[in-house]
Amino acid sequence: MVRRRARFASAVLRRNEISATKPLDSDGVAASVHILATALLPVSLVVALAVGVVLVAMSLLGVSLAAHAVGRIVLLVGLVALPLLLSVGNLSYGVSESSSTRFCLSCHEMERFGRSLFVDDKQALAAAHYQNRLVPRESTCYTCHKDYAMFGDVKAKLNGLRHVWAHYVTGVPEQIKLYESYPNSNCLHCHDDSRRFLDKDVHRAISSQLYANSVSCLSCHRIAHDMVKVDAHQFWQAQ
Amino acid sequence: MIRSIQRAAVCTGLGLLVQLAAALHWTPFTFIASAVIGLPLILAGGVLFLRAVWKSLKSEAVRQDPS
Repeated sequence: MVRRRARFASAVLRRNEISATKPLDSDGVAASVHILATALLPVSLVVALAVGVVLVAMSLLGVSLAAHAVGRIVLLVGLVALPLLLSVGNLSYGVSESSSTRFCLSCHEMERFGRSLFVDDKQALAAAHYQNRLVPRESTCYTCHKDYAMFGDVKAKLNGLRHVWAHYVTGVPEQIKLYESYPNSNCLHCHDDSRRFLDKDVHRAISSQLYANSVSCLSCHRIAHDMVKVDAHQFWQAQ
Repeated sequence: MIRSIQRAAVCTGLGLLVQLAAALHWTPFTFIASAVIGLPLILAGGVLFLRAVWKSLKSEAVRQDPS
């Protein structure tokens, strides 16, 4: 039974990896653009490569394009403008892709955190948010772990580089923890004007401390990722 | 000049190959590789090409007007 549930979590995780390329919650246009970019970028890179190969082959065969102005323009487009344009497009797509759940979970040390999205624990924040679709499934990690301040995106990407550095160079620490304590502003970004949040007397009573970050949301909502249940293979399964 | 353009094409081609590998499978490693290796290779190819063209145009100008 336990193994069956673990297999289920892995299967859902894999399914989510697939769905990460096909956003569930985005509107139609955004989803279409995403699919188009996924398919078109590799194709256009292959086309650019083919153009480059043809140009080199022509020069090897003695066709000197560089001898006249039109040939130089063809070379400029084929060897500089097109590859540069595609590189910029590719990198900007890569930056957006680096916010996806699949991207975060592609490092094996994050796998347990990925599984924690499926544990059978309504109090575990990650699982509750994921299972109730309170966060977009294709960017679950990023939605909760990026700051919503002015340079939140930049900070998140720089932290991502630190993760990569740790993964490949310095080694992953024994215990994975946040670089700094989790800021309430990340929770309040979504919850501060939500009815579920405001209807709770306790939230209203300590709202000033919550906004000042002097009392952490996690001091009451203690479990962010329920790793005990991950290790015990206690996963939620829709009946 | 042809040799310089061929060198530029090889640089650009290698850069595009790295970018293609990343585009087919986005992972932290391929993303960093495309940014740190792929893009600089393509930029280097562009610079090599423009330098070759610049040199060729300059020598053409000198040939036409030796004074």
